Amino acid sequence: MSSESSKKRKPKVIRSDGTPTEGKRNRSDTEQEGKYYSEEAEVDLRDPGRDYELYKYTCQELQRLMAEIQDLKSRGGKDVAIEIEERRIQSCVHFMTLKKLNRLAHIRLKKGRDQTHEAKQKVDAYHLQLQNLLYEVMHLQKEITKCLEFKSKHEEIDLVSLEEFYKEAPPDISKAEVTMGDPHQQTLARLDWELEQRKRLAEKYRECLSNKEKILKEIEVKKEYLSSLQPRLNSIMQASLPVQEYLFMPFDQAHKQYETARHLPPPLYVLFVQATAYGQACDKMLSVAIEGSVDEAKALFKPPEDSQDDESDSDAEEEQTTKRRRPTLGVQLDDKRKEMLKRHPLSVMLDLKCKDDSVLHLTFYYLMNLNIMTVKAKVTTTTELITPISAGDLLSPDSVLSCLYPGDHGKKTPNPANQYQFDKVGILTLRDYVLDLGHPYLWVQKLGGLHFPKEQPQQTVIADHSLSASHMETTMKLLKTRVQSRLALHKQFASLEHGIVPVTSDCQYLFPAKVVSRLVKWVTIPHEDYMELHFTKDIVEAGLAGDTNLYYMALIERGTAKLQAAVVLNPGYSSIPPIFRLSLNWKGEKTNSNDDNIRAMESEVNVCYKELCGPRPSHQLLTNQLQRLCVLLDVYLETESHDDSVEGPKEFPQEKMCLRLFRGPSRMKPFKYNHPQGFFSHR
Amino acid sequence: MERAVPLAVPLGQTEVFQALQRLHMTIFSQSVSPCGKFLAAGNNYGQIAIFSLSAALSSEAKEESKKPMVTFQAHDGPIYSMVSTERHLLSAGDGEVKAWLWVEVLKKGCKELWHRQPPYRTSLEVPEINALLLVPKENSLILAGGDCQLHTMDLETGTFTRALRGHTDYIHCLALRERSPEVLSGGEDGTVRLWDLRMAKEVQTIEVYKHEECSRPQNGRWIGCLATDSDWMVCGGGPALTLWHLRSSTPTTVFPMRAPQKHVTFYQDLILSAGQGCCVNQWQLSGELKAQVPGSSPGLLSLCLNQQPAAPECKVLTAAGNSCRVDVFTNLGYRAFSLSF
Repeated sequence: MSSESSKKRKPKVIRSDGTPTEGKRNRSDTEQEGKYYSEEAEVDLRDPGRDYELYKYTCQELQRLMAEIQDLKSRGGKDVAIEIEERRIQSCVHFMTLKKLNRLAHIRLKKGRDQTHEAKQKVDAYHLQLQNLLYEVMHLQKEITKCLEFKSKHEEIDLVSLEEFYKEAPPDISKAEVTMGDPHQQTLARLDWELEQRKRLAEKYRECLSNKEKILKEIEVKKEYLSSLQPRLNSIMQASLPVQEYLFMPFDQAHKQYETARHLPPPLYVLFVQATAYGQACDKMLSVAIEGSVDEAKALFKPPEDSQDDESDSDAEEEQTTKRRRPTLGVQLDDKRKEMLKRHPLSVMLDLKCKDDSVLHLTFYYLMNLNIMTVKAKVTTTTELITPISAGDLLSPDSVLSCLYPGDHGKKTPNPANQYQFDKVGILTLRDYVLDLGHPYLWVQKLGGLHFPKEQPQQTVIADHSLSASHMETTMKLLKTRVQSRLALHKQFASLEHGIVPVTSDCQYLFPAKVVSRLVKWVTIPHEDYMELHFTKDIVEAGLAGDTNLYYMALIERGTAKLQAAVVLNPGYSSIPPIFRLSLNWKGEKTNSNDDNIRAMESEVNVCYKELCGPRPSHQLLTNQLQRLCVLLDVYLETESHDDSVEGPKEFPQEKMCLRLFRGPSRMKPFKYNHPQGFFSHR
Repeated sequence: MERAVPLAVPLGQTEVFQALQRLHMTIFSQSVSPCGKFLAAGNNYGQIAIFSLSAALSSEAKEESKKPMVTFQAHDGPIYSMVSTERHLLSAGDGEVKAWLWVEVLKKGCKELWHRQPPYRTSLEVPEINALLLVPKENSLILAGGDCQLHTMDLETGTFTRALRGHTDYIHCLALRERSPEVLSGGEDGTVRLWDLRMAKEVQTIEVYKHEECSRPQNGRWIGCLATDSDWMVCGGGPALTLWHLRSSTPTTVFPMRAPQKHVTFYQDLILSAGQGCCVNQWQLSGELKAQVPGSSPGLLSLCLNQQPAAPECKVLTAAGNSCRVDVFTNLGYRAFSLSF
């Protein structure tokens, strides 16, 4: 009970606090008697138990009084009021007692609380002190452990072992007698010795450095000397060039070429090696050179840093362009195409010199992403060529090398794998880019050692030297023959356009002395026109009129007779003969379908062409064939049997000497010319 | 490093040459084997090709069946005429006649059995032999051609027994009149002459070009083809194709065909003819054109009917001419397919 607890504490508190308040009270009482009344002091004096009893008693009294009042009020009467009043006054007195008691109780409570509070504060203070001390203890403990754990730097130093130390250290440092016993001193000594040693070594190091400097300087000097030597050697080499040329040993030039050749991609390298070897061994008229930028070639082979730079550059560029406008899909595709068709910066140039001093310039390129080689060709002659109209296509760079080997038209890529690459960027065929990139002929691939099988695409096609070598000689020979025959044709066409069939003197024996029929027209006709002619259908059906051929129309006339000849010139002229188809306009139109003799004439020039080849390299084939056609027309017209029903003489009197005019079931005319007798007979 | 030997002739050249040869080939003559299963064709390059008719006509015929079984170089010059006996194939062209055994010919690398050259008058140019005719009664062969004579050769001994002269220009064709026996020959001079073999003399001459009904001076007067059926003869060439009654030497029917005909034959009750123009013409004896069946060559030079009794399934008409193809007609109404050199 609170009163009991306050009772317990009270004596202490009273002792400590009571006296000052009593003292105060006493003083105040003595000074001002009854000025004020301190209830608090009274609380100390009274006994809470007795106050409690008083309270109980008061309450009882009150209850009794109330009951009496009640009785009196219920009873009623005159003197009740005075009784009631009396009791009321007593109740009031009791009420006031209760109030006092209440006040006293409050005061007691407050006092109790104050005392508790003070005590608590004290306890708290002690508690705090305890905490502080504990904390300090902990701190000190930590410090102690730290001190105990302290490792001084000297323990990290790898000191030499004890025996070594005692062996090597001089006695003034080692101080054996002192250190042996005392580990601290020992360690100190050892550290001393370490320091000593290090100092010595540092000294040595400095000496060595200075030595090195000296030597480096010497080296510099010597290098200077050597480098001053280099330009002198160069000048000597320059001076020796004329000597090299004089002795036909262009080592210097060759050396430079080999240097550049190192940067060539493998197929071009194979081509370069094989062509140089061939040129040295077999054909002095072949010269090989490398063109293009070596730096660009080197730049191709620096992947990481360069690509990073490129990326950052391209990012920057891209940002710029996106600010302006986004590149359209078409432009992007275009770029991808350009990327796919990119050429290696280096190219190999071959110059084939022919006997008549005309030169065939071949430039070989390598398309890196497609792994094929292409070639561009140009023919130059010593004298300026005036191109006749019909000879436009003969030497044009696009078609001069077409079908060097049968069927090799160079319009399609030879690498089957390229088709898949093309599909990604929307390229239909390489034909559209051929003028720019060069032609990817099959022989070019073979010269570069690239062998593409016909069926499936191979994973990697590597450049192979043996393939190149085996084709080099044949291809070079074919190239030369091709250039020669084209140039010969060029000259012949110039003459044919003027109506003169140029027959060389060594081919004159094939023809009689007098040829009356004349060539009046020689023009080139487009492929489609040839296909439209009615008398060439069988050639077209036999597959001999492809689009790689060149087509011409010749017109031979004599009197009223006009002979039209449609000519198919195969790019492989002159090993592949030109093919003629005739249509004679004289007394009606005669072609091979309605006149057996026209058929025989065609047979004479087409099938029996080998006699007309002339001396090798048979460039005279075409002109001889044309001359023979003139002779055949003469024979045909002159041997035509006279129609008895028609009046008048024959238009063409017979001047040719013939044994018999007709022979065989087809009644052939004598078309075969016999030399030197000069008469005509049948085959 | 091994080097491949460079080719002397690039492949393209031979292919082109072969194609040109085929384009300019003319098949002049055909002959059926005695067993009826094979057909021999001779062309202007002197080659003979043997086709297997039974294989080409069979139901599982493939493209290769239409190619020759064997092709060999028989003569140096064109082969204008071929006939077959019981066992031999006789071919003639530039001046000589060669004989081949049919059983040997089917194998590769066949060699001729014999070759004979009739005695010619001129030596400047070797005359060609345009027609061969077998006379079974005498077992002899008649050759005629460039030297304007008919030579008779005995097949047993190989000697030349007769030389019948009379034509003024070279002889195109021959026909045999079984009954007499008489031989008809037509030539470049425009005449058809009848020869009696026993008497070795000319008995009748018909100058076709002099008859107005059939003469066509713009084509010339030459007689290119001849066929006879005892009393009747049909001939054509420069003049129009005409049916003649031999005894009276009068033309009875003129067939209205503008193009000169190169081969004519009697077949059952029809006359088949072929010549310039790609068609095989079928005529009634009255002169009407029954049918015109186009072939594949622009002009035809020879017709051959396979009537050998041993192979009735190969009974076909074959036509060849100015191309490398032989057209096969199983039914006279249309061209079934073509064999090709």
